[in-house]
Amino acid sequence: MQKHQDKLRLAVIVLLCLLHIGFGLYARQMPLLICGAAGMVYAAVATVGLRHAARPAAAASPFSAPVVAAERPAEPSNTDALVRRMLAQSRHALLLRRKVVANLREDEFREACEQLHARMALVPEGDVVLRQADDEGEIADPPAAMSGRRVHVAPLFLDRYTVTNRQYSDFVAAGGYRDATLWDLQVWPAVPDLVDRTGQAGPAFWQQGRYLPGEEDLPVVGVSWYEAQAAARWMGKRLPTDAEWVKAACWPVATDGAAMIQRRYPWGDCLDRSRANLWGSGPDRVVAVTEFPTGASAGGVYQMVGNVWEWSASDLRLSANQAYGVVAPLKSIRGGAFDTYFDNQAACQFESGEYPWSRRHNIGFRCAVGACDLVLDLPQVGQEGRAEAEASECEAVPV
Amino acid sequence: MTRGALQPMVSSELAQSAAPVSCFVCEAANTRNAEYCRRCGSPMALAHPTPGRTARPKMVAVLGPSGSGKTVYLGMLLDMLSRQPQRLEIVARGASSIGLQQTTVSALASCEFPARTGADPESWNWMHCEIHRHETTAAAGAPSLAERLVRAVPQNRRAAVKKDPGVELVVPDMAGEAILEEVEHPQTYPVVRAMLQNSAAAMLLIDAPELHRGQRDPDFAAMKILSCLKELELQDGTARRSRRPLALVFTKADQVEGCRENPEEFARMHAVGTWQHCRWELCDYAFFAAGVVGCCAWLEVRGEGRRRAPLRIEPHGIIEPFAWLLEKLHPQGRR
Repeated sequence: MQKHQDKLRLAVIVLLCLLHIGFGLYARQMPLLICGAAGMVYAAVATVGLRHAARPAAAASPFSAPVVAAERPAEPSNTDALVRRMLAQSRHALLLRRKVVANLREDEFREACEQLHARMALVPEGDVVLRQADDEGEIADPPAAMSGRRVHVAPLFLDRYTVTNRQYSDFVAAGGYRDATLWDLQVWPAVPDLVDRTGQAGPAFWQQGRYLPGEEDLPVVGVSWYEAQAAARWMGKRLPTDAEWVKAACWPVATDGAAMIQRRYPWGDCLDRSRANLWGSGPDRVVAVTEFPTGASAGGVYQMVGNVWEWSASDLRLSANQAYGVVAPLKSIRGGAFDTYFDNQAACQFESGEYPWSRRHNIGFRCAVGACDLVLDLPQVGQEGRAEAEASECEAVPV
Repeated sequence: MTRGALQPMVSSELAQSAAPVSCFVCEAANTRNAEYCRRCGSPMALAHPTPGRTARPKMVAVLGPSGSGKTVYLGMLLDMLSRQPQRLEIVARGASSIGLQQTTVSALASCEFPARTGADPESWNWMHCEIHRHETTAAAGAPSLAERLVRAVPQNRRAAVKKDPGVELVVPDMAGEAILEEVEHPQTYPVVRAMLQNSAAAMLLIDAPELHRGQRDPDFAAMKILSCLKELELQDGTARRSRRPLALVFTKADQVEGCRENPEEFARMHAVGTWQHCRWELCDYAFFAAGVVGCCAWLEVRGEGRRRAPLRIEPHGIIEPFAWLLEKLHPQGRR
């Protein structure tokens, strides 16, 4: 509206200027000619200013909001449409949150539960032993009965597959890079710098705000820790902690003497290169998240070893006894990637690190959600409760 | 230099041991029992002929200032060729060659860098190996019939399929300090001078992150080495430009944005002196980018201070410069 008013004002100015120039020429009055010319110059400058303002903000300033090339989906007209869309975007965990679940009909609740179980694996409650580097910095092979830092893990759901380009594009298209509520306050000023190869908001190796054709089922890579965290929040989930990740991969079993038996790799204690996409065993690039099914963990989580490293919520801490520490703050990454060279660095217990702003070609992420955060029993509030809750709850859901 | 050993008093053996043996690197005369050359310090084992081979091994100089990554590069190259012999197959000769591979791999697997190579030539590791190539179709990148046969045939029968007689190479892991010392003060390290003079091809390693940070020292060091290489090659003054194949490898390229995608453009932007020198003084050169470590971090070690540690190993671009040099030394079509 404001833009149209500006244009109208400019048109009036141009008309007046033309009249001034016309009369000036007719009456041969220099002041009228000068006024008309000055007015035309003003109109020209104002026109350029309007065009500049109409450009995408990203092009105007590196710190302004980037443009998402993908079409932003239309706002849903009612709760049904909103639930449909959230299910299509794999945001089942958000629908099953306590505050949201009361808005669901029974069939919607069942569908959300089915999607949850199909796409996430339950990691049961229990202890896990996290191995630490010894004084020399080496991470020794874990023996069957292990010693180390014992951590209790509450039950959780962990994504069976790492987040794909297709899933991440939903986050980008929904304006995830423009929604300040998804990002930590201190990193928000730097979010406009998180652009792809063409300067659009998105992972580092995308173009025009989209993934390359044929890469929809590949894990999303080129995302920093902060982007992974924001996308997980948008899905109603979070990044798994180190202990949660290792518990899902090693699948520990407590024995009589309180010692733990944990697997070195998700399938057992021996590295079988045919079960994981590692250096020398795969096509030397990232593959689809559903490949290497024989390498799945006991709980049915795919590619915990190989293909891409995975961001964890935890900080990197190499030394248990504080013999040495990492100088710069790094985030822990787990699982090895398609170019991981050494067998020991692909083991479940191996912990590597990366700077949280790094957007590497071989680091992706998978999400987790605490089982206690979800409602998995049939909710009492159904269609009747929806109308009451609609006004208050739905607006709170980030779309 | 030569470890003491009792010589049996047998006249024929005494006569044999009295006959001088030429050092493989500097060609100085040595006694038969010498372990290292008395002049240059290179191992005399290199001078002993390999059974079944008549051709003299070719020398390749891997050059670069201290910390540019020569030891890591050579150790990883040996290990990668050993583990994945689809394109190039390597047969290491001598304990020194295997020792280089072992120390590098052991250190990196434990998230440490191998110790710096000492300036004493007798402590250097020498990569001495035989390289065999499998036939490949140059055009489409698809495996040739020979390559498919090589993959299909069991390991113990592969010898029957291979046609490439291979090439024998000697590549020392020289200390960066020694290389620059010899370049700046000739005759300080005869072994370095002999390598610079007699090597059939050379590889120059340049630290990419240092250049990217705006430091000029790697560029200056590379220019010094290139000048010395040319000077020693063209001593007779008949030619103007060096014809010796030279691979310029930007190391630690994973830490520098854009270096992997276009190393020559990176050279033009950040190592202008080296880039200009190559354009005007060399006939046969190419730029490469290589990296071994996925992420490096500074660790604060109690009682020691800070040290850099590799947090994971993800090699890339290691084999390409070597394969390029090999093609120059021993073109695939020429048998």
